Amino acid sequence: MTTRHRPRLAEVLETCRPDPLAKPNILKTLLAVQSALGHVPTSAIPQIAQVLGVTDTQISGVLSYYSDLRTQSSGRHLIRVCMGETCMANHGGRVFRAIQDHVRSAVGETTPTERFTVEKMSCAGNCAVSPTVMIDADLCGRVTPSDVPSLLEPYR
Amino acid sequence: MKTTRLYLSNDTSSRAAGAGRLADAWSDRPEIQLIRTSSRGAFFLESMVERDTPAGREAWFNVVPDDLPRILDGVGGTPVAGIPFLQQQTRFTFANFGITEPLALDEYQTRGGLKGLAAAQSLSQEGIIEELRISRLRGRGGAAFPVWKKWQVAQQTGSEQKYVVANADEGDAGTYCDRMIMEGDPFRLIEGLMICARAIGATRGYIYCRYEYPAAVRTMKFAIQKAREADLLDCDDYPFDLEVVVGAGSYVCGEETALLESLEGRRGVVLAKPPYPSEFGLYGMPTIVSNVLTFATLPKILANGGAWHASLGTEGSRGTMALQIGGRVKQPGLVEIPFGLTLHEVLNRFGGGMAPGSRFKAVQVGGPLGSLFPESQLDIPICYDAFAEAGAILGHGGIVVYDNETNMVELARHFMAFTADESCGKCTPCRIGSVRGREILERIQRGQGTAEDLILLSDLGETMKSASLCALGGRAPYPVLTAIEHFGDEFRSKLSAFIPQ
Repeated sequence: MTTRHRPRLAEVLETCRPDPLAKPNILKTLLAVQSALGHVPTSAIPQIAQVLGVTDTQISGVLSYYSDLRTQSSGRHLIRVCMGETCMANHGGRVFRAIQDHVRSAVGETTPTERFTVEKMSCAGNCAVSPTVMIDADLCGRVTPSDVPSLLEPYR
Repeated sequence: MKTTRLYLSNDTSSRAAGAGRLADAWSDRPEIQLIRTSSRGAFFLESMVERDTPAGREAWFNVVPDDLPRILDGVGGTPVAGIPFLQQQTRFTFANFGITEPLALDEYQTRGGLKGLAAAQSLSQEGIIEELRISRLRGRGGAAFPVWKKWQVAQQTGSEQKYVVANADEGDAGTYCDRMIMEGDPFRLIEGLMICARAIGATRGYIYCRYEYPAAVRTMKFAIQKAREADLLDCDDYPFDLEVVVGAGSYVCGEETALLESLEGRRGVVLAKPPYPSEFGLYGMPTIVSNVLTFATLPKILANGGAWHASLGTEGSRGTMALQIGGRVKQPGLVEIPFGLTLHEVLNRFGGGMAPGSRFKAVQVGGPLGSLFPESQLDIPICYDAFAEAGAILGHGGIVVYDNETNMVELARHFMAFTADESCGKCTPCRIGSVRGREILERIQRGQGTAEDLILLSDLGETMKSASLCALGGRAPYPVLTAIEHFGDEFRSKLSAFIPQ
């Protein structure tokens, strides 16, 4: 956790402090932390555990279980390529390779300039206009390998 | 200046197909008033723009920004009532789609909304459940359990606190009807949840929505707010609390016990049943967990009566089903029809045949755990019983067509890798079986597999089918084994001829 994260984390955790009578909700808390910091740094686990009154292990367990919770910061732009069956049937694998070639990064790694992080995602529910690529919050449909350069261009 | 009202879908897939670009391009045109509706589900025609005519709506297909003058002149439009893809459907749950603005509560009411809730309010708890028994509605999420039985257990279990939970963790690849309902007709889901709450005496409801559906989460939150302001969220004298909870990317959280674990903030791990959630669910209280589509079906059933619903479909599968056709077909989209048409008829009539340049190889029904069907087996009727008899599942209605370029060994590996990734780890057959299964398929893919590996895969599959705790491990072997059954040559041609001693 970088020093710039520390005050922000304390602020978020204050809003997640459970009602003394209610059971703490670990997942909800981790999602709140991620939405504030962009990811959940593993160094923040003891602090989160203390606020919720649970063990560090319980926090780590939930953090490692859900694929949408990340412990590393991502690049400025997150590219997620749908790996659902419809996208596979419509040759989404070729789109995935074209994106990898274009940004030259392996799955889940951030490009050296920190511009992009490329990840695979489970079905985006956009099957009727597949193959699907999600860049940050923008969902793109009917993507072909030749679309890739112009698709990524606006994301600097 | 005369302004023309144009209708454009605001559904996520419509936006991905370019609806957002149209809206941006036309934002400074004072001569048009753009109404953002839900989608008709005919996604192959999107971006689709509609306008009113004296004879009903007319539509323009695959519209680009420069088409605006043509639309304003009324040139080249097609009457919506004459689109065969839509004309041949029986729309009940999806009757409002493409017509209304999702968050316009008055429009929802004008088109028959809230009548089901009013009917439920005039009945006793037993009366509502009896109506559902007559309707013979089965859960639409995949398990197809009779809805009334589940409700009866929850109703008869004495408890201070009961819950209703909409399962919106629509993880089956190839399905998106829950997303469409939440984005396109959110009050229908709220009405369905309220009917259930009344029938079992629940005071709190949750919509557990997957992380991948941000627009659905936004729309549902707005709709709940509007319903609350309109005093709709009242069960008799006490207020009914409804909340949207977002998941974090776990396929198995679509299984009801795992979903409830996740709702309580823990790892989404499957629990052994019994006890069933209808007796011992969220925080140990009686809880009804049903799929979004199931809840959205309820308002019409209560409004029209259970007998109306039972008059549609086949013997064991009453009512309509939302099918989502995708993959290498000409016309991907959402189809609501009564149960009973054959798979072949559905693919031809609605799918419109294969996409240009591709030949049919196989179709998978029921998501990533569904069986594969070759061309010779397409005469199976779409209903729960025929699919169960064939060892297949209808699941949540996803239909994915694969073409001749599909590599079946790679596809089978993909299925096993999916289960290995998504297994919650609770039971051994699924946790270890899926990893070993993936390894065997990787070996075959590398050209190092042997004939024994295929036998091993089959043995492993049988063990997973019979010994797994939930449908993830129990169904995972089906797509793999049906791929080997129907496309065995592809697997055998990859086997190593040389067996090391």
